Amino acid sequence: MSTLGLEEMKLNIPKHIKYWRRSLKTFLPHHYTGNDSNRMTLAFFVLSALDLLGDLDDALTPEERQGHIEWVYRCQLPEGGFRAFPGADFGSLRNESNKVWDPASVPATFFALLVLSLLKDDLQRVKRREILEWLRSMQRPDGSFGETVGEGGRVEGGSDTRFGYMSAGIRWVLRGHVEGPVDGIEDIDVDKFIACVRGSETYDGGISDAEFHEAHAGFTCCAINALHLLDRLPLDPRTSQKDEGRLRGVSNLPLTLHWLTSRQTLTLTEDDFFDTYGDETDSTATCHDSHSFIKLRSYPSARGHNSFIERPIPDFNLKYVGFNGRCNKIADTCYAYWVCSPLKLLNHLELIDLEPIRRWLLEKMQHMVGGFGKHAGDPPDIYHSYLGLAVLAMFEEPGLKGFDAALCMSNDAKRHIEELEWRSAIWGV
Amino acid sequence: MVNYSDDPKWADITPIPQDDGGPHPLAAIAYSDEYSEAMGYLRAVMAKEEHSERVLDLTEHIIEMNPAHYTVWLYRAKTLKELNFDLKTEIEWLNPAALKHLKNYQIWHHRQTIISQLNDPAGETDFIDTMLGPDSKNYHVWSYRQWLVKQFGLWKGEEGQKELDWVDGMIGDDVRNNSAWNHRWFVVFGCGEENIRDEAIVNREMGYAKAAIHKAPQNQSPWNYLHGIIRGSKTALSSLKDFALQFASLENPDDVHSSHALDLLAMIYAQDEDTKEKARQAFDLLANKYDPVRKPYWNYRKETLVN
Repeated sequence: MSTLGLEEMKLNIPKHIKYWRRSLKTFLPHHYTGNDSNRMTLAFFVLSALDLLGDLDDALTPEERQGHIEWVYRCQLPEGGFRAFPGADFGSLRNESNKVWDPASVPATFFALLVLSLLKDDLQRVKRREILEWLRSMQRPDGSFGETVGEGGRVEGGSDTRFGYMSAGIRWVLRGHVEGPVDGIEDIDVDKFIACVRGSETYDGGISDAEFHEAHAGFTCCAINALHLLDRLPLDPRTSQKDEGRLRGVSNLPLTLHWLTSRQTLTLTEDDFFDTYGDETDSTATCHDSHSFIKLRSYPSARGHNSFIERPIPDFNLKYVGFNGRCNKIADTCYAYWVCSPLKLLNHLELIDLEPIRRWLLEKMQHMVGGFGKHAGDPPDIYHSYLGLAVLAMFEEPGLKGFDAALCMSNDAKRHIEELEWRSAIWGV
Repeated sequence: MVNYSDDPKWADITPIPQDDGGPHPLAAIAYSDEYSEAMGYLRAVMAKEEHSERVLDLTEHIIEMNPAHYTVWLYRAKTLKELNFDLKTEIEWLNPAALKHLKNYQIWHHRQTIISQLNDPAGETDFIDTMLGPDSKNYHVWSYRQWLVKQFGLWKGEEGQKELDWVDGMIGDDVRNNSAWNHRWFVVFGCGEENIRDEAIVNREMGYAKAAIHKAPQNQSPWNYLHGIIRGSKTALSSLKDFALQFASLENPDDVHSSHALDLLAMIYAQDEDTKEKARQAFDLLANKYDPVRKPYWNYRKETLVN
């Protein structure tokens, strides 16, 4: 209870459990059809959310748990790697020639490994050698990774850091931090990938999807998560890590920290948002962040004056602060993860005042039926509901499990991977 | 609704029903009958690797319901190639599809494939203008614009001037459109190292950013652009001191018009031992008065001054 006698908003754990159990136990509504090809990713969100909420063990009978494990393995392809959804499966008609239309996917393989870990499988049935060989074929000569291998061995899909992150994740699960050949299988070209990430750094300190594209928090996060999983982040001067002369990213840490902290915004709804058209100067309504005190520099044009005279004055008491994904954009739940994860991995989450972010998530974005929406008042969806919960776990919200930012799941689930016997054997522990 | 099982055109195909992988599937979706049926036929034609006109209709139907299906796009591209299909017709079909699925990745990849094969960018810039209408910051559209410029060398000579004029118009429409600022950077500095070393171009671009800052001093986009030029051209940061002082000065701490100007002043003051105290004052103003959203960050910047 606050001093005003108003009950402070809390994470409504029973409602979130209800939301996620419904997603686990019943069919997702038909509007998820557009995500049919991301079912392995959705599966990860559903199971990992229940894990963070401490409900996964209770939610599943042993039979269901085993049944889900079998489902994941059914998505594994004979040649290694996982398909993203059962809808791609030709069944007994699959052959050497047509299998190119039912390919293994990088996101599906990454999330399948994590889903198996959440279900406490030992990953013994994972075709690890085949996956590591295939992973090498997913890397292009420029160092980037794609989504699938298509006809003629062509790497298909974007070349952005999303696939680099998930490839680094697959590598970490299957071979840890070891560089060079493991079990006779060559490593991916880590240096080339780092060079590729450095190439997509922007003039303002963020990271984009390709050289010279606009900085974006999603791609920045994927890049930094990947660098962490590859153990190639800049050395922290506050610790005594030794530099072995390896290529690292990001190339200008202070600038990246400036860009990341600049993603905090008071533009939380469309009402707070204002694009200038014409020649008006900044005013209380056009300034996005905390500048209620900034005076008009000159007399604005009539057009400029009219365009903001009716606008509500934004709330400048800093009660709520959100995150956007790019400069001069509106706040969105998912960017809280895409910005805070890199800050956490760079050991600089302390540069953010967590309380107004937490309040924004709990009071503005949390939905009464459980889950989180994209913008304030939006109905919840699986993607935003998961990342909202993930951020609160990162902030050590009571009732949630400890959280690993780079893998975006609980420390418990990560530990399960780290303690797998075959994996420890790689470096002879 | 398209019904394949009753259509004589499809009578020779036995659909492959979805095997959802046992009694305990994850993230199972309540598919419509329409989607389930169409997917059954798609699996069947893919399995026999049929590339025909009717496959184009089928892939179009699936894409309407699930545009993120990655192999359906690749399969369609292959079919177009096998049929030697008129690619202009394909682009005409793609235009409304792109407007309907504004956030889809695959559609842009497909467009690149088709336009590369056509080897002709005619009409593409008009289409981009149409796409930017509902969302002038659409990330996919700006990325595609860059691809187009690179692919067809639209940053040289007369074409380059046209591109610069166009992006100037976009910034004129909305000086806070960071995508447009980024595109300007790409057009001016993305084609090689020479422009950032060209004093006339560097001065022109700094002037451009400064004019935009005068319009809206709290808009971070042109400040970032200015900093980018300073770093890239290795110009002394202190050369911006007089400019920054127009928007913020420690002598008049109640009359600050831009937190970004204060940040710049702090950076300049931090470079010299004699003015470090002033840098501290600027960071205090930012933390406590002009940008308290980022208070811990400004305090950190102040603390790191010690070294």
